[in-house]
Amino acid sequence: MSSPFDQMLIESDVEQLEQADLSLLETLDHVLNRGLVIAGEITISVADIDLIFVGLNILVSSVETANEVVRNRK
Amino acid sequence: MKLYVYCLAEKLGGLPSIHAAPVLGISGAQVDLLKVEDFALLVSEFDGDSAPSVTRDNALAHAAVVASVLNETTPLPFRFGTVVAEDQLRSYVTARREALKAKLDQVRGCVEMSVKIISGSDQADVPQLNEMDEQGPGARFLNEKRRQILGSERRSEEAKQVAAWLKEQVGTYVQQEEVSLSQTEKLMVAAAHLVAREQVAKYRDQLTMARKMRPELHFLVSGPWPPYTFSNIELEFKTRFGVS
Repeated sequence: MSSPFDQMLIESDVEQLEQADLSLLETLDHVLNRGLVIAGEITISVADIDLIFVGLNILVSSVETANEVVRNRK
Repeated sequence: MKLYVYCLAEKLGGLPSIHAAPVLGISGAQVDLLKVEDFALLVSEFDGDSAPSVTRDNALAHAAVVASVLNETTPLPFRFGTVVAEDQLRSYVTARREALKAKLDQVRGCVEMSVKIISGSDQADVPQLNEMDEQGPGARFLNEKRRQILGSERRSEEAKQVAAWLKEQVGTYVQQEEVSLSQTEKLMVAAAHLVAREQVAKYRDQLTMARKMRPELHFLVSGPWPPYTFSNIELEFKTRFGVS
């Protein structure tokens, strides 16, 4: 698969890295480290090894639903 | 069946395509448009509960789907690996409608530019004490620690100065910025700049001139990106509701 960023400027004077490598590294930096995260957990794996675990303790629920859950537990 | 989520936008005319061919998502999956409230979300149906593996193709596919709508609008990208049930996604969007709208207002008409500045100097620049050879192992250990701390402090100070210099150079064209200093020994500054689309050419020109002023530094400049760095609304949520 070719890079989706054919029109994207990637300029670098860092030696040893090919343009394609830089493009991929920059893409990984953006898509893996940044962006919206939905409540829940994301475990990202590379070659079956869990590398990044994002755990969020954010409750997305209406107060009424939360109360109902609590009432049902009782 | 769960959904893999790529991005959220205000409205989209239709499904994204590149040269009239539909853009394919993770693992070659079809990309669908899901409308929730006033928003349009790009999603794919996804088998399984856990995030897809990070492979070159998957990462590029995620990025390609998000980038495919950048000409039409500025989306809020989701982080790679976002897999949710449709009702959970609807609940998320509905519950955070106002925060998402505010975030879309912030990034409207803008793109993200990324600048990484790498130091040309070496840690070895911090002088070693001459008398180290004559010291015992404990003193040598402490001296080495001292040398490391001095080096770290020096790098940190240099990084602050370089970040301030960068801001001075391109600040006119930057609407918002996120800067990390000294993430690694060599990486002094990693800056993400939110730039209005019509200012991108001027921003690049200014950056090109600035680079010539600092030949001792190495620059890695990339963009325009969808605003990955400026999409998260976690902070607003924490501030508003006092949770983390």
